[in-house]
Amino acid sequence: MNRKVLIGGLFIIVPVVAVLLLSLGNDPQRIRSPLIGHHAPPFTLRESGSSAIIALDDLRGSPVVVNFWATWCVPCFEEHQFLVAEAANHPEVKFVGIVFDDQERTIQDFLARNGTGYPHLLDAGGRTAIAYGIYGVPESFFLDRRGVIVAKHEGPMTEDVFGAGLKKATAE
Amino acid sequence: MTPLLGRVLVLLALFCAAAGSVIAFSAGARRSLTGYQWARKFAYSFCGFMVAANVLMTYALVTHDFSVSYVAQVGSRSVPLWVSFVSLWSSLEGSILFWGLILSLYIAAATFANRDQHLEYMPYATGVWLACATFFSFLISGPAQPFLTMTPVPADGPGPNPLLQNHILMAIHPPFLYLGYVGMTIPFGLASAALLTGKLGHSFLRPLRTWLLVPWIFQTCAIVLGGWWAYEVLGWGGYWAWDPVENASLLPWLTATAAVHSLVVLERKGFLKGWTVTLIMSTFLLTILGTFMTRSGVFNSVHSFTQSSIGPTILVFLALALIWTVVLLASRVDTLIAEGTLDDPLSRESAFLVNNLLFVLLTFTILIGTVFPLVVEAMKGVQMSVGRPYFDRMSVPIGVALLFLMGVGPALPWGRSSGRQMLRSLLPPLIGGVALASIGAAMGVRNPWTLLTLFFGGYTAQVTMREMWRPMVQRMRKHGDKPLEAFVEGQLRRGRRRFGAYIVHSGAVVVFISIAVSSTMQTSRQVHLRSGESTTLGPYTLKFLGVEERPEPNRQSTIARVAVSRNGKQLAVMTPRMNQYLTQREPVGTPDVRTSLSSDLYLSILNVDPATQTVGFLALINPMVGWIWIATAVMAFGGVIALVSPRKAAERSALAPSTNFGAPVHGPGSEPVVEGSS
Repeated sequence: MNRKVLIGGLFIIVPVVAVLLLSLGNDPQRIRSPLIGHHAPPFTLRESGSSAIIALDDLRGSPVVVNFWATWCVPCFEEHQFLVAEAANHPEVKFVGIVFDDQERTIQDFLARNGTGYPHLLDAGGRTAIAYGIYGVPESFFLDRRGVIVAKHEGPMTEDVFGAGLKKATAE
Repeated sequence: MTPLLGRVLVLLALFCAAAGSVIAFSAGARRSLTGYQWARKFAYSFCGFMVAANVLMTYALVTHDFSVSYVAQVGSRSVPLWVSFVSLWSSLEGSILFWGLILSLYIAAATFANRDQHLEYMPYATGVWLACATFFSFLISGPAQPFLTMTPVPADGPGPNPLLQNHILMAIHPPFLYLGYVGMTIPFGLASAALLTGKLGHSFLRPLRTWLLVPWIFQTCAIVLGGWWAYEVLGWGGYWAWDPVENASLLPWLTATAAVHSLVVLERKGFLKGWTVTLIMSTFLLTILGTFMTRSGVFNSVHSFTQSSIGPTILVFLALALIWTVVLLASRVDTLIAEGTLDDPLSRESAFLVNNLLFVLLTFTILIGTVFPLVVEAMKGVQMSVGRPYFDRMSVPIGVALLFLMGVGPALPWGRSSGRQMLRSLLPPLIGGVALASIGAAMGVRNPWTLLTLFFGGYTAQVTMREMWRPMVQRMRKHGDKPLEAFVEGQLRRGRRRFGAYIVHSGAVVVFISIAVSSTMQTSRQVHLRSGESTTLGPYTLKFLGVEERPEPNRQSTIARVAVSRNGKQLAVMTPRMNQYLTQREPVGTPDVRTSLSSDLYLSILNVDPATQTVGFLALINPMVGWIWIATAVMAFGGVIALVSPRKAAERSALAPSTNFGAPVHGPGSEPVVEGSS
């Protein structure tokens, strides 16, 4: 055994592997949303498949989950069932879907096949998505009773994330 | 049905790789020819199943079978057929499946090419290849499974990342990169086999060199194709940004290039065995590190679309490969006994040695710059990035020194030589150096590094030309051959490898000069123009004619029309675009590049203001950029010339095929070095 080679090799590889190991889980592109702790940007949008107009102000007084999604996004498709089920389980929470960059006919097809559960609003020109700083879909915001954003989640919703977000949104 | 069939094929491939690897190692340890024959069968079967799995996935993509999870993720009915094809490598799961395909083809080819040769080494080499194949098959069958079943089946998918749909180069760059990256597994296996047997015989250098050169050629093309893609698509006017993933492709190329050179010394002089093996193994490790960089999501990069959750799995594989390499080197490197020594510090072999050290220094410099942000974040929790100034400042001097050595090395004779001989060799090329630097200065080059590059470039070009044609000239002088006869005999038959190597060098000189000139002599202008307005850039007048909207199934394009004239003479109408893909909010620009041999006129849209009908343009004159693409093709061509040895077939038939283990290992004295090898 050549000790010099062994020690020299370990001298290089141990720090490299250690640094890579410590870096796992870091997302260099993650930017903490500046909206957290602030009032959610208001919106007044038409519901898909109807002529009803829904404004964020109308929802004040209840915890709100705002979910940005699209029919062409596979993770959105996967989380849809979960959100519909949670909306049924939590009648005290208002759920709102905001459909990003999509067509009404496709949205209606999607909802007819996969269930509605709560209103889905049309975001013409993506203005609301821009106001919320949406990076990609799905993204979800948890608002407390006063309309303040208390948590944000990028990517499909999981049980843990939903539970934690809801806890913050319902805390007095 | 398709997802199930895909999963079965991948599992069968995993089984063949794992079983083949165990059998191959056992055959190597027990010197069992039958065992090795079985291992070969498993290697071929692994290839068969991997090919079938890839054909199945391609079929599913082309036929829009959204019951396959990967197709649901990257497929779309609205994209053109070629985009459906390239979707195979456009996202994580598919690209790992594609990796498996390339690896399986390499393993099958290398196994077949050496089926009756090097029987002492081959079982171990096959064992290592199939062990790597086991890991990648495991990834495909588990953490990066592309054949999951979608229920309910979606009606359509989003299509691949818009950046990948934006240019046809995306159909070419990734396969070349994979052919380069994945191919480095083969020399890694061969080098491991040399260490496991404790021998690196002269005859084994040939497969080692061949299977290092093949991926090297692909990697050379891939790096430059990536730069070309960035230049043609990203719209900022450059081709290299020291992005972590760009660096990840360069790092193994640097060590592989060093290894190609150290192999020449090993072949000629019989020393640098341990060093060469270390370089080859490091090359493989750097490809795995690069894979981790691209897939783990810990680096901020233009390639972030391939980020995923398989980072930890790749890190485990990287750690195992590192431990394997270090332990194997530490325990076996002393058994690789050198057959020669360095006779004279002023010889060609010592120039090779310095060249190797510079390549390794450059590798470390770039590696440190790339990994440093992670170190800072791990220690201080602060996000930072190492930018272009560091990489430029560190790599330019080393690059220029390498260019210098590329001229001085081949000018120096092998072994000892007299001072007079040396001066006769080293002094005349100074004419080339001074001439090129003077031409550059006369044309307005003022940057000292660019002038130095031109000087060394001219020097190296003269040496390269002299050495490249020396065998032909000598034949004409000594034997009185006619030029064509001397060319065929001196360049193509006897000195083919040498000829190929100097073709590579001549291409490299042009690449060096083009990079230096294009990065220091650029002219740029950013302007906002309304329809009908003009601007000037260097000798060109650019008149903005207006914008046109063009709807396509998968995108909406805004095309600006700009009339280009020079000295009042109309040259062309350039049409840079801004593409808005249905699935992405941010538009993707496509610059229009008008290429000529001397410079490119580069025009890209920065923004469009529909309210005022104003378009922001970035206009650039990039000198010599086109030469980078041409010279790289020359380098690859030289590599192919050096690779294909017409004497190989003759030699193979002259040597009786050894069917027993323990065939004699040739030393430098027992087998002639191929005449004229550089």
